[in-house]
Amino acid sequence: MSSSLKAAFTSLILLMLSAGLQAADKAGHYGVGQLATPAQIKGWDIDVRPDGAGLPEGSGSVLDGEVLYEAQCAECHGSFGEGEGRHPILAGGIGSLTADRPTRSVGSYWPYVSTLWDYIHRAMPFTAPESLTDDEVYAVTAYVLYLNDLVEDDFELNQATYHDVILPNQGQFYPDDRPDVANVRCMTDCLTGTLVVHSESPGFRPAMADSSTASLEAAPKAMPKLTAGKSTYDQLCAICHKSGIGGAPKLGDAKDWANRLQKGHAAVLANAINGYVGEQGVMPAKGGFSHLSDEAVTAAVDYMLKELQ
Amino acid sequence: MKDDTVLTGDGLDRRTLLLRGLGLAGGAVTAAMLPSTVGASDGLPPNVPAWTKSLGPGVLTHPYGQPSPYEGAVQRRTVDWLTADRIASISFTPLADLSGIITPSGLVFERYHAGVPQIDPAQHRLMIHGMVKRPLVLTMDDLQRLPSVSVIRFLECPANGGMEWRGAQMDRVQFTHGMLACCEWTGVLLSTLLEEVGVDPKASWILAEGADGAHMSRSIPMDKALDDAMVVFAQNGEALRPEQGYPVRLINPGWEGNTSIKWLRRLKVGDKPWHHREETSKYTDLMPDGRAREFSFVQECNSVITSPSPEKPMTVKGRYQVQGFAWSGRGKIKHIDVSSDGGKTWREARITSVVLPRALTRFALDFEWDGSPLYLQSRAVDDTGYVQPTYSQLRAVRGTNSIYHKNAIHTWKVNENGSVDNVQFS
Repeated sequence: MSSSLKAAFTSLILLMLSAGLQAADKAGHYGVGQLATPAQIKGWDIDVRPDGAGLPEGSGSVLDGEVLYEAQCAECHGSFGEGEGRHPILAGGIGSLTADRPTRSVGSYWPYVSTLWDYIHRAMPFTAPESLTDDEVYAVTAYVLYLNDLVEDDFELNQATYHDVILPNQGQFYPDDRPDVANVRCMTDCLTGTLVVHSESPGFRPAMADSSTASLEAAPKAMPKLTAGKSTYDQLCAICHKSGIGGAPKLGDAKDWANRLQKGHAAVLANAINGYVGEQGVMPAKGGFSHLSDEAVTAAVDYMLKELQ
Repeated sequence: MKDDTVLTGDGLDRRTLLLRGLGLAGGAVTAAMLPSTVGASDGLPPNVPAWTKSLGPGVLTHPYGQPSPYEGAVQRRTVDWLTADRIASISFTPLADLSGIITPSGLVFERYHAGVPQIDPAQHRLMIHGMVKRPLVLTMDDLQRLPSVSVIRFLECPANGGMEWRGAQMDRVQFTHGMLACCEWTGVLLSTLLEEVGVDPKASWILAEGADGAHMSRSIPMDKALDDAMVVFAQNGEALRPEQGYPVRLINPGWEGNTSIKWLRRLKVGDKPWHHREETSKYTDLMPDGRAREFSFVQECNSVITSPSPEKPMTVKGRYQVQGFAWSGRGKIKHIDVSSDGGKTWREARITSVVLPRALTRFALDFEWDGSPLYLQSRAVDDTGYVQPTYSQLRAVRGTNSIYHKNAIHTWKVNENGSVDNVQFS
């Protein structure tokens, strides 16, 4: 590099540095927004990191966790963390990651306990996120660790014991190293693979008809109430009322509904709209779907009641 | 709760899938063709159709316009067995019916982990805090006062095509490639917001978090935040749709869609990644040796032919335009080649749209069909020189259990009757 070029280069660097300094001083340049108060931040600052940063004070035992898990988690995740239906598996599968059908559970795949605490706290139970207390989150986390044979039944999880539990798969993750393949832009006489076609029949063709024909028919002025009720049930209520999550009375289960109905139709409707907490279970107001109108909730309840007949 | 591993079809035997598929598909194709058969031929030349000899509805019949009812088949669709419910689920963009490179807002694929929150923008706040000089709480009005930009960028779920790792499964381009969209996004560069709060020079990661029930969260490296990440409030010229994060979301151009947090409520600046659920249990790529890639952000160069496709069969012999999309999370599309013999010989296709970085790009190729079976493929090359790989190449490195980031060359088999099936060369 010539000396004049060097000088130009140096002054360019200096210019960039001073631009950087200016940028650093730009905080508040536009003067928008309000300074976040410590109280505001405390309400939303829920994240937890693998180093334990963000874990609040509190504690929870495996035994307490078992009660909570059975009441609020097992419907979807299974009593042993095996996962019901399409819901995520939480336990088991250790050593299966190289198998033809690997199981990615907390014990077999997840790298950090903090992820479990953080996720239960931010997103679970599915129908009522952020409803557990910190102690309850510690307890359910401890119980999921127990389901994975990672702690004993007398274990209690808190800020200190958190550091004692290392998940088996920690250290088995590495940063993205793609591109990992190098195809070439061959234009003639290129290599091809072997053709693999469906041996049995054409592949999976999900229905396209329902939605496409529906729009061609004149739209009815108002959806009949029971149809609307069924639609709301299918989309929203079924999450709990199909399986009985959280003590929800199941669709078509007359026994389940009988003692609710003793209080009368109006009381059932009021509980559905305003919410209910009692020995029989928990019903969030409108099932947690606050955008539903009272009429929509009523139609859904009436649909469920009709299914009892 | 949705489990992404199901996208490989784990745990469902193939025969069951096929049977279910056939059961569902009864009468589907004929019904889909209905629009063109409505009405008699009384209005065809030399006659004049009724609508030419009468008045139609006036202005404001639809204060917010809708597509023609004859386009009613152009819809997002889902595959119910993929997920446990529709609250934490996905729907797919109808790629075969799209023109140009913009996906209409109402057709953009959906992906929720706790349904769509119904957010009142006046009650929504974006908090920026952590390793910053001035932690801020911003209203939507505050955001609108900052300098904004508009860019056209694609958005793709990294599980797009994930059902195909073990073999051809979905016989619709909507389902093989439809976790994909491209929109114009308007908002504030994240770098502008970070300047405004004054970031600690030691900070290296940012946690982005949504206001939905899942409080969806991802760790974003500072390099991306300062490069082209955006906090956007508008899509295709209007406010974001609720499904797309109304009133405000993050967009990380070219990166897996899950990082573009919707209903954005919080950005926390820190010095380490958080390793949250969506970057450990999910959205990591399990390799054959049992280890897994993490923070695999980029959506690599990919392409697909949308016509012909199972939705757009060939109907007569003669001249066709083979058409499709190409895209790359690393930059611009440089070439798209098309093969009709399963990859032995290739011809370069024309690019028929504007070419933008990290945006869908359209291609077409004149093709004369003589009625013989074809194995149609497209292969894209981006401006880094990366050539879209074959299934064999991907599987040799990744096996079949990595779920995400499948960008293999796709094959449509055109049958003698013009129908189109999904097949693979391996």
